[in-house]
This record gives sequence, C-alpha cells and structure tokens, in this order.
Amino acid sequence: MKFKKQLFGFQDMLRFKKLVPNRRAALAAGPDTPLPKSYRTNELAHRLHPGYMEVELTAVRPLSANMTELTFRRVDETAFPFFRAGQYVSLQAEVDGSLVSRPYSIASSPRDALAGKLVLGIERAGFFSEYLCTRAKPGDRMRMTEPSGEFHYETLRDKHRIVGIAGGSGITPLLSMARSMAEGDEDYEMTLFYGARDTRHLAYSAELADLAVKGLRVVQVLSDEEKDGYEHGFISAQLMEKYVDLTDVTFFLCGPQAMYNFVLKELEPYHLPLKAVHKDATCCGALDLEAPRTFRLTVHMRDAVHTVDAREDETLLAAMERAGLDAPNKCRAGGCGFCHSKWLKGEFRIADGRDGRREADRKFGFIHPCVTYPLSDLEIDVPVAE
Amino acid sequence: MEKHTVKPYDVVVIGAGNGGLAAAIRVLQGGYSCLVLEQHNLPGGFATSFKRGRFEFEASLHELNDFGSPDQPGDIRTLFRDLGVEDKIDWIRIPEAYHLITTDKQYDCEMPFGIEAFIDKMEQYVPGSRKSMTEFFELCNEVRDAQTYSNSVNGNTDSSYMKEHFPNFIKAGSYSVNEVLDALHMPKKAQDILNAYWCYLGVDCDRMSFLHYGSMVIRYITRDAWMPKMRSHEISLALDTRIRELGGDIWYLSPAEKILTDDENRIRAVRLSDGTEIPTRHVIANCSPHLVFGKMLEEKSVTEQMVRATNARTFAGRGFTLFLGLNKSAEELGIKSHNYFIYDTADSVKQYDMMRKVDTNHVQATVCLNNAYPGCSPEGTCMMYFTTMFMSDDWGNVSETDYFKAKDRVADDMIRVFERETGCAIRDAIEEIAVASPTTYARYCGHPQGVIYGYETADWDSLMPRMMMMKEDAQLFPGLRFAGGYAMRSSGYSSAYVSGDLSGRQTVGDLKREVR
Repeated sequence: MKFKKQLFGFQDMLRFKKLVPNRRAALAAGPDTPLPKSYRTNELAHRLHPGYMEVELTAVRPLSANMTELTFRRVDETAFPFFRAGQYVSLQAEVDGSLVSRPYSIASSPRDALAGKLVLGIERAGFFSEYLCTRAKPGDRMRMTEPSGEFHYETLRDKHRIVGIAGGSGITPLLSMARSMAEGDEDYEMTLFYGARDTRHLAYSAELADLAVKGLRVVQVLSDEEKDGYEHGFISAQLMEKYVDLTDVTFFLCGPQAMYNFVLKELEPYHLPLKAVHKDATCCGALDLEAPRTFRLTVHMRDAVHTVDAREDETLLAAMERAGLDAPNKCRAGGCGFCHSKWLKGEFRIADGRDGRREADRKFGFIHPCVTYPLSDLEIDVPVAE
Repeated sequence: MEKHTVKPYDVVVIGAGNGGLAAAIRVLQGGYSCLVLEQHNLPGGFATSFKRGRFEFEASLHELNDFGSPDQPGDIRTLFRDLGVEDKIDWIRIPEAYHLITTDKQYDCEMPFGIEAFIDKMEQYVPGSRKSMTEFFELCNEVRDAQTYSNSVNGNTDSSYMKEHFPNFIKAGSYSVNEVLDALHMPKKAQDILNAYWCYLGVDCDRMSFLHYGSMVIRYITRDAWMPKMRSHEISLALDTRIRELGGDIWYLSPAEKILTDDENRIRAVRLSDGTEIPTRHVIANCSPHLVFGKMLEEKSVTEQMVRATNARTFAGRGFTLFLGLNKSAEELGIKSHNYFIYDTADSVKQYDMMRKVDTNHVQATVCLNNAYPGCSPEGTCMMYFTTMFMSDDWGNVSETDYFKAKDRVADDMIRVFERETGCAIRDAIEEIAVASPTTYARYCGHPQGVIYGYETADWDSLMPRMMMMKEDAQLFPGLRFAGGYAMRSSGYSSAYVSGDLSGRQTVGDLKREVR
C-alpha cells in the first residue's frame, strides 16, 4: 500500500519532521508557576486515610459492669477522618516494655469524628483492655490507625431494613451505625437487638433511649434477669420475628463467637443467602496448647535483623510486639492484610478459618503474622510500621 | 528527626509499581545493587488484588496485550522471559477482543482476535469495509515494525533507513486516528467499531496519534491478550520474588520523601519520611514528574526548565472502578462476554467531553473475569469490575461528608447502564461490593488527582515525539529516570513494564559510562 494524506507524500513527511521541534517548543513554553504541592483529591484521600494518628485520651467513663468508655482527641490534627459507621480503629501503645495494639470498633458517629471526637467502648477481656480500662488516664498519648474494616452498611448491596444484633461490647459498632442513621448519613431503617446477662451488663442505655426517639427500634434482651421493658432469654429467631420480617432484612452481628453460632443456627431454617448476614471480625488469640514450645524467630526489618523468642501458642505478631518490634497490624483477624510479610524459612501454621491471604501470597510465600503461629525456628521479612 | 544512614545502593527505585519492579530487575541483571522503596505494603501499584468475603478481586488489569502464546510470544511475554518471571506465573488466554455497545443504539458488536477474523466480522457489520480494514492492518504492521526497529536502536533511528523501509509509517506519523482512517476511506461505521479501544488510551480519536492507536490495536488483534490466573498480584509477587533472587532489596511501607542533592546538584541520597537516608547516585522514579519536581527533589536543584516542562503537560484520566462479587454464575445471569465497552456514543470526541464531568459520564469498560477464567471465583458465583475515567478534576469537588454517597451514585449508574444495555439483571446478586474512586487511587499510589493514565498522549505530546526525544528528556536531570505510567511510554500495563525495562537498562548504561 501507499499511504498518503496530503496531495504530495513529501508534505506528510515534512509534518512528521516537525513533531520533535513542536514538542520541544511546547515543553519550553509551559508556565513557570511553581508546581502544586498538593491536590484536592489527594488532600481528601489524606483526610479520609491519614494512616497513623497521634491521639490523646480525654475522658474515661464506666459503661457497665465490664465495660469502660474512652474518649479521644487527635493531637496531630483537629478532626478525625469521616468514616463508615461500623468500622474500627487499632489502638496502639507501649505497656511495660511491650508494644501492644488491639482493634476496637468506634462507638461514636462519623460526624463526631469530624468534630474532633472519637469514642471507644472497651470490654475488659485481656492484657491491653485491662490496661486501658484500669490504668489509662486522661492526658495519655497513644497511636491509633485510621478507621478501617468492611463491617458497615453498603447501600447497593444491603436491604433497606437492617437488623443489628449485639452481644457484650459488640454494641459499639451498632451504636455508631444507629447514630449515623439518626444524623442522616445513612438511610437504612434499623432494628437493634442487644443481648446481655442482666441490666448491669448493658451499656449505653441512655444513648439508646435517646436514639429510640430518633427512629431506632431497640429491643434489649436479658438472659439472666426478668424485667419490665426487656425481653427475656436469648436473641432467637422466634423473638426477632415479633419485630421484623427476617427474610427481608440484612443482619449485622457483633459479639462473641458463641452468639454468632447461636444466631446463625437460629437463621438456618430461613435459607438466607450469604449476603444477608454480616459478622464483625474477632481478634485472633493464643492457641490452647498444653506445653507450648519456644522457637527462635528471626525478623528482617529493612536493613536490621532481630532475633526474638516466639512461643508455639502465640502469633508471630504477638512475639514481635513482646520484643518491642514495631510490626504493622490492624485487624488482628487475618483479613485486612496490613501485616503482609515475606516468609523466608521455617514451618508455621495458620489459625483455623483465618487464612485471609490472596492466592498468590500462598504461592510465593507471604504470610499474615497476626494469625500465624510458629512450628519451628522461623525467619521472616517484615515492613516497619511507620 | 532521627537520622539513620544505611548502606549505599547503585540505584534506588522509588515505587514498586509495574515500571519500578521491571526497572529494578534490569538494574540487578546489569550487575548493580538496587533498593526498591514502596510506600504501600504490597508491590505492584495498581497491579494487585484484594479480598472481600469469598472473592479475590483483580484491582485493575483488564488484559495484558502484546503477550502472545509461548510459541509465538509478543513483546511483553518476551520481556517477562528476559526478566525471568514468565514461568513463575500461570497464564490464561482472553477469549475475545471486545464487545462494543453504544447506548444510542447504534452499535452492539462482538469483535474477535486475529486479523482475518476481525476483518471478516467487520465486513459482516459494515459491508464494504474490507478494503480499508485490510489497508489499516497493513499500515499497523508497518507501524509495529518501525517501532521494533526504533527500540532495537534505543530510539537513535537513522532517518534514511526509516524513509526507505517505513515510508507509510512516516507519512501517517503526524496524523490523528481519525485523519488516517478518513484518508483510508474507511466507512464511518467501521471507524466507530474499530475505535472502541480508545478508552484504553484515554484520548479521543481526533487528538490521539494514529501511530499510538495503531500499534496498540495490532498488538491486541494479532497477539491476543492474556491474564495471570491469580490476578495481577501474581505478576507483582513474581517480580518481587525475582528481585530478591537477584540480591535486590525491597522495603515496603517506606515512602521516599526527598531526593537529596550535593553542591553540584547531583543526586546524593534518598530520604524516607522517618529521616533514614539511603546514599545513591541514581534514582528511577515510578511516579509522576509533578511529584518529583514539585515535592521530592530538593528545591535548590529544581530548575525553571523542569518546572516549565512539567507544567506544560496534561493529566490523563482519573480512575473510578466498581467491583462486584455476584452470588450467581455468569451463565445464570446471562453475561456472555469477557470485555464490554459501553459508550453513550461512538463519537470519541463527544464522549471524551461528556467524561469531563462526574454527572455526565456513563462510559464503562467492564470485565466479567469468569468468562476468561471460570475458576476465578467459587462455583455458582462470578466477579465483575467496571472502570471509567474522569477527564477533568471534577471529582476534586466531592466533600468529605458526601464522599461515600458520591461513590455510590457513580456505582449505581454503572449497574443501571449495564443492566439496561445487556439485559442482565445483576443488582440482586450483589454479595460483595467495593468501589475505588480517584481518591482511592490517590491514596494507594499517590498520583495527583487520582490520575491512573499518566500524561495525555495527545497532540504535541503524543507517543512518537516522546520516543524520538527519549535522550533529550532524560537530560532534564541526569541521574534520574522515570518508569511507569508517567514515563515516556505512557500508561497501561504493557507500556509500564516496557518503560521500566527501558529505564532500567538505560540506568545500567549510565552507570557503565560513569566507570569509563
């Protein structure tokens, strides 16, 4: 073929020859105004996802027999990120020489966050929560990760009517969801079933009563106490059916594993699709082993190499934290992937049902230390949490 | 700020995106030491995956073009072979080229791979198009051969050789897609169908260089497209693994904050945000010149020429992607194609203009991955991702409190348009959903405004003059080269790998010259 655009082929050739001089001239003719230091979209990304935040405890308040409320303000900025109600933050501090961190669901609303306030409701259940509930005091500074997690309403996936089922400290994300609805940022209709042993173990009664006025339906269920205005027993399907059509709602469950087992069994006869029930993740703890062995864990962090003890029944993350190594982590449930690290040598096992790795991670030897236990001496390459 | 000084490296690569990873391997293969710094906790940049429930989503790759089969490898498979990663990855072939739908009811066409099959199909849709289509592919072949020649001499082309062997390439070389197709007397309808790939380059066909488009189309149609089985995360981890095998280092969660220079304005080190300094003389930046010259390079070394040359350029599209995990199979839902292009109109100029605003943008390039790789999600389910771009900074107007709702509005429109145009009801089957907005892309990769396509390859800044000025552009700041979507070859997976290959090899050349 003979391609020709203009009458004479050489005219096309001439045009071609001008491509470089044209571009050279255009580059030189760019404005000499300083290049931007930031961009609106990137600023929004930074406000929504600041990474680590420096926070200060401003108030401590008892909530129930076994829960304490902690209120924080940000030190490095004024506002917390606007988040999706139901999400959690990871709170991180140094306690007695160890670095410790745990994810806690946010109890306050996304609007509160913008106003500079973030509230956690913490149940005394382990080393760090015990510390937070009994020893932490206003003025204490800590590190907090940005709000994260997929336990929240999705407008295009979920039904307009939602049912929250809370057990114990599981009330916190659902309280945030109810608050966000009341503030007009979420447009679902919410019914909340909140189970506890007795009224002493119920938190946030006044707040829930206030939200009930603003459209939240609240049903409090006591297993060990009979009292007017409260349901008695467990959160069974039969009990819930008195209030909602269970086939036309999306469920949000947050509480102990035993509660999940019970509720899921209750819902079985309805043959609901998987998408109808969302459960909040729970932290991965220690294994119950009789005589756990102790191994050597070699940790590469950038150009440094550390060797620490790692107990067979504890996660690699826990071993690193005990030794004061600042390993990245958020969900501690195997799912968020923030602790993604390279396995180099040695045997390990992963907590049952918690292998949240991507397919290629398994192929190329990457692990999530927050749910991985050593079975021999082990060598890994871990990013530094910054 | 604590100052921690580490051992020096011959080369520091900033950013473990597709370009940065390929560049690092080239540096290591050249026998030099290399450290890759990545701000995120994963390699790959956009080339990654993420999990939601029982789905592992592909973050961005629609198909890898110019890949070819093991026996007839395309340039990218050959590159992967040279990098030593081809065998580390399980590959699957994409079944068909594309399914074009325009919502003005003008087009609903399914196009195959293979030149003859493509021309035959076009003749069915547009009788009388055969001659111009045949000439189009002849011209494209010449374009490809000319580019192969140009690469083989590292851009130092001999003009009389070019004139003798590639006269049509030169004669068509300064024109846009539409100008060339008109000159070939291609029927308008055939032009419309042929131009469907335009959104992969993000420039309308009045302003997109024919050479750029032609070389991409010929690579798609003759060498077909492939995907890694385990999403693009498999490629990224294979590259990470290869870097470690070759003795290179990769530091994740380690954002490079500053490129430090000495008294003679030569690079002396890269500094992390925690104060750590890494001595080096060479940097390959897998990020935008806007960031490097605007923020990272020490101000005393930023020249007026750098500022003007950077300001002169135009950002390409800002990305938006909806990911759906569906609790029914593609077959049950009636989703037949792997790769849909759904436009309002086949007129790319009009369409480009509508894509400037969030509200008037209804374009989608949509993939149902199961139609290429049925095993990508559990039995009885399928995965889809819908991608569009904004051709201005309109998304920057979104406020914090409207952010989640704004994402939902665009996602909702994508679902509505797909259902309306294909007749496939997918909404009730949504089990998992994730939405990446320009804000998300800005967050993970740091690109200005959430741009995913680098600088527009349009008008004066199109691919050909960029290639011819490769040497000249690198003189802007010796010691610094770019890789990835903002580099010379522009955006897209294949281009990014090629840019890393080039910059990596060129940096090796720089290092060798220094010794001499």
